[in-house]
Amino acid sequence: MGATMQVLRWIDRNIEKIVILICYVAMAGIIFVEVIRRFVFQSQAAWSTTIPIYLFLWVTWIGAAYNTKIRTHLRFDEVRMRLPYGGQFACLCLDAFLWILFGVIVIVYAVEQVQLSHDNFAIVQGTDDVMQWWFYLATPVGWSLLIVRALQNLWEDIQTYRAGEPFKLQVSMLGE
Amino acid sequence: MDGWLIALVSLIVTGLFILGVPIFLVIGLWVVGVSIIIDFTLANVGVTLYEGLNFFGLLALPLFILTGDLIKAAGIAKRLSDFAYSVLGWLRGGLAMASLGACGLFAAISGSNSATTATIGSIMYPEMRKGGYDKNFAAATAAAGGTVGIIIPPSIIFIVYGFLMNLSISDLFIGGLIPGMLMVVAMQLTCHIVAKRNGWGHLIEFSPSRVLGTGLRAWLGFLAILIVIYGIYAGVFSPTEAAGVTAGFCLLAGVLITREIKLKALPDVLLRSGQITGLLAPLIAISVVMQQILSLLGAKAFVTDMLSLLGGYYAILFACMALVLLAGTILESLPNTIILAPILAPIAMSIGVDPIHFAVIFLVGDAIGFITPPYGLNLYVASGITGIPYFRLLRYTMPYLLALMIAWLIIALVPQLSTILLFHEGAGVFQTDIGG
Repeated sequence: MGATMQVLRWIDRNIEKIVILICYVAMAGIIFVEVIRRFVFQSQAAWSTTIPIYLFLWVTWIGAAYNTKIRTHLRFDEVRMRLPYGGQFACLCLDAFLWILFGVIVIVYAVEQVQLSHDNFAIVQGTDDVMQWWFYLATPVGWSLLIVRALQNLWEDIQTYRAGEPFKLQVSMLGE
Repeated sequence: MDGWLIALVSLIVTGLFILGVPIFLVIGLWVVGVSIIIDFTLANVGVTLYEGLNFFGLLALPLFILTGDLIKAAGIAKRLSDFAYSVLGWLRGGLAMASLGACGLFAAISGSNSATTATIGSIMYPEMRKGGYDKNFAAATAAAGGTVGIIIPPSIIFIVYGFLMNLSISDLFIGGLIPGMLMVVAMQLTCHIVAKRNGWGHLIEFSPSRVLGTGLRAWLGFLAILIVIYGIYAGVFSPTEAAGVTAGFCLLAGVLITREIKLKALPDVLLRSGQITGLLAPLIAISVVMQQILSLLGAKAFVTDMLSLLGGYYAILFACMALVLLAGTILESLPNTIILAPILAPIAMSIGVDPIHFAVIFLVGDAIGFITPPYGLNLYVASGITGIPYFRLLRYTMPYLLALMIAWLIIALVPQLSTILLFHEGAGVFQTDIGG
């Protein structure tokens, strides 16, 4: 039991990081190597213009979940930071509710798309056997993770509220 | 009836925005609300969040973000700063002017604004303090200098703009080159005047051998700039390929030549870039959905009608600029671009503004928004690095703001600055025929 918890905790801490690292390295690596190959050997793999985009989509949606986890999504903070304590708490609950609401809509329709692609045996252009639905999974998986992160944040905020401690309302900014 | 409901939804999401709900959700919920009202399938949201980003040119975005992080880690940014100082150090205010120049050089390899402020700020701020500058002014210089990060190519926002507006990203990059340099020079002049009046800064003697020495040490930086600008300008690479090559080059240079990138630190660099991608790309995706809804609503025709009541070319152009600037005071550059560009760009084209020229005007306005209150991103970044309070920093940024506004006006009034380098067929001016 203890070991399972440990594994779960480790996954909780690292899941986004691992997916982002793998996909980012693969994406950048493929493009770099293929451009060089085109210049030096005048040849290029047909899938080198499709697979990197799909990896980018994984980085995008898992990255969105990661930004939810570390609360860095872009927002306008000026008013919220000046609200009374109860108002701030209400806003944080509202955030969580809206993430989940929107997330469920996205997941419902994205799963439909994955299903369709799966049933049609759609393959990635330039490959023989790479299934498209593996990559289409990025949206539903990313958003499921994002909902988990939103719930975790909500839980944390409720604890903070009960303890009467200040909320984490740092200014969200690009790249810092 | 629908009109009222849509207005109500717009009002509600504006309320959510003011309450600090993430901008992604604000746009997303508007899209969902309006889709329901006009009976448009929500399946579109699920599909477009994926398919909307399925475009090879957009890959330049994550790659140029990575490049910015790599040149900093590789120590190339520091070498470029040293070079700029050796060139300008003999002038009054030379060190601060060199910081601005270094921002320009950094911007020519990296695609982002806050990375420019953060990187050059953290390198040059301590130097300026040692060099006898007022610390508030030194921090303001870093904040203002970062604005050219998104104008001098490569630029992340240009990629987004080109993607959304269906313009050649290469052409946009080239269009931003002269205006970006003009911004740097305008700020340098301001800096020189302010420093002279206050007697700030110790002067160093101009020495050709020093310029040569620092220039040689910075060769990796110049080579990277050459790869990006020449590669794109000569049509050797697409922007995406240029981004891939530059990222690879900076990584190899940092690991093998400058040896300042430790392999152990690499995951952190990548994760940071991944985080920023996860911040920007979802916004682009949702904005594609928003554009579909807007075109279903016929919003462009509506705004065009409204604006055409204003009168002629300049009235409309200045109205567009005022809108960009106003929105830029509270919005980050990306949301500003994805919300306003799809509305304003067709209007500008309908009165005969060259699309590339308008893109440059739009994005310079966006860049100025980085140092305008209440939401001036660069001010936050610079305040974070230097520990100087936000509002004090704001005051010291004013001369730069003025300089940038003047430069902006010149860029708007002289289209040639943005289009003169676009001499190949199918670029720049040529395209207005389609729009007009």
